Amino acid sequence: MDEEHVYTVSELNRTARDIVEGGLGGVWVKGEVSEISHASSGHMYFTLKDAAAEVSAVRFRSRSPILSAIEPGSVVLAFGKVTIYEPRGRYQFVATLVQPVGAGVLQAAFERLKQKLHAEGLFDPEHKKPIPAYPTRIGVVTSPTGAALHDIVSVLSRRWPIAELLLFPSSVQGDTASEELVAALDRAIRFSQSEAPLDLILIGRGGGASEDLAPFNDERLARAVYASPIPVVSAVGHEIDFTITDFVADLRAATPTAAAELVTPHAADVAGRVTECVDRASRGLRGRLEENEMLLKASLRRPLFRTPSRLLETAEQRLDVQAATLARAPRRALERPRERLARLDAILRLSSPTRPLERGFSITYVDGASRPLRDARSVVPGTHIMTRVAKGRLMSSVEEVHEE
Amino acid sequence: MKIEETLEKLEKITSALEREDIPLDEAIALFEQGLELAASAKKALDEARLKISQVVEKAKGVLDLEPFDVS
Repeated sequence: MDEEHVYTVSELNRTARDIVEGGLGGVWVKGEVSEISHASSGHMYFTLKDAAAEVSAVRFRSRSPILSAIEPGSVVLAFGKVTIYEPRGRYQFVATLVQPVGAGVLQAAFERLKQKLHAEGLFDPEHKKPIPAYPTRIGVVTSPTGAALHDIVSVLSRRWPIAELLLFPSSVQGDTASEELVAALDRAIRFSQSEAPLDLILIGRGGGASEDLAPFNDERLARAVYASPIPVVSAVGHEIDFTITDFVADLRAATPTAAAELVTPHAADVAGRVTECVDRASRGLRGRLEENEMLLKASLRRPLFRTPSRLLETAEQRLDVQAATLARAPRRALERPRERLARLDAILRLSSPTRPLERGFSITYVDGASRPLRDARSVVPGTHIMTRVAKGRLMSSVEEVHEE
Repeated sequence: MKIEETLEKLEKITSALEREDIPLDEAIALFEQGLELAASAKKALDEARLKISQVVEKAKGVLDLEPFDVS
């Protein structure tokens, strides 16, 4: 007996702990959760049990975030180690990972569906419809009360308020959500065909936990999106994962906000493009006016039209002023198109008949033709042409034609 | 006319005026048309307010358009 070691209680518990921890290591345990309590420290204490036995368990706060889905009755798969809490001599399971058993099943189903639809060609880039550059009627399939609608409305109001938004309300989470989404998408397509055509459809919801996205992983919804004759843009709020709807949609955005930005131009950019067009058009017309000026000069050189030179000078000056104004004033032009036109008429009437020819320009006519020659291809070697210069005219015949 | 159509027509007119082969009277008519298109596009962009409505199906197969208030 003397040699027999007598343990203190502390020693006993410590030794038992070493044996248990060393002997088992990390293990997976499957069981049903009961009696959950969340301590103010952030630790979660719970009991795991099966039909015949139970074990106390704890998950410390520093571990992965607590899943709201775990509640009494959930069957979970937990990874951790078995230990003994020495002060109480209590045996417990310390979990580092707790996940609902359903989660793995869902993930596997997701992968299977993804493979299947991929093999069928539902994700093929060739099938994806182009997104119109200037959508004016935009269908939105989402919850009427959710963050997604709010975000889309605020982007459209800011960027592209010329659009009209048509909401096709649907719930976006829960057991019936995928069915409702399919029905709402169908409603949007019917509306587009019978009432007013939609340019595109946004379908989505705001961010949520992965189980909230389940409706967007539904096969019927995927097929409905694929079959839509209207481009469909997925706007499901989750940056990291993809849903099946993302893969099958014609365009995928990471969030509803991003979706609304991707499919619309900015009104200010479009207005800038309009201004640029008017600018270019003004320059183009000015070129035509200058050409016309030369033509007029040519005809006015005939004795019948000879005019006192002072009058011509005045007219020249006015033309310069008018032409310069025209070139740099697209904005004013925009405001009063009719007035601009009246001004153009004035420019034409005032066109001076002498200057371009005096600067060294000339005008060539095919002999006998009333309109000036514009294209080298309309003559051939040997064609007789008449060239009008500032003083007099030249009669020649074409030797060679060089096309540009 | 949809804004896209207006922009396309305006672009077309602009390119036409940049080419050199249009008689002057035609060019002036085109320019005037371009200015009107530009004015209407600008007006549409300036005055636009996002319109929102919702489409519901109260009876089977009957689609109703209702005003929708986002607040």
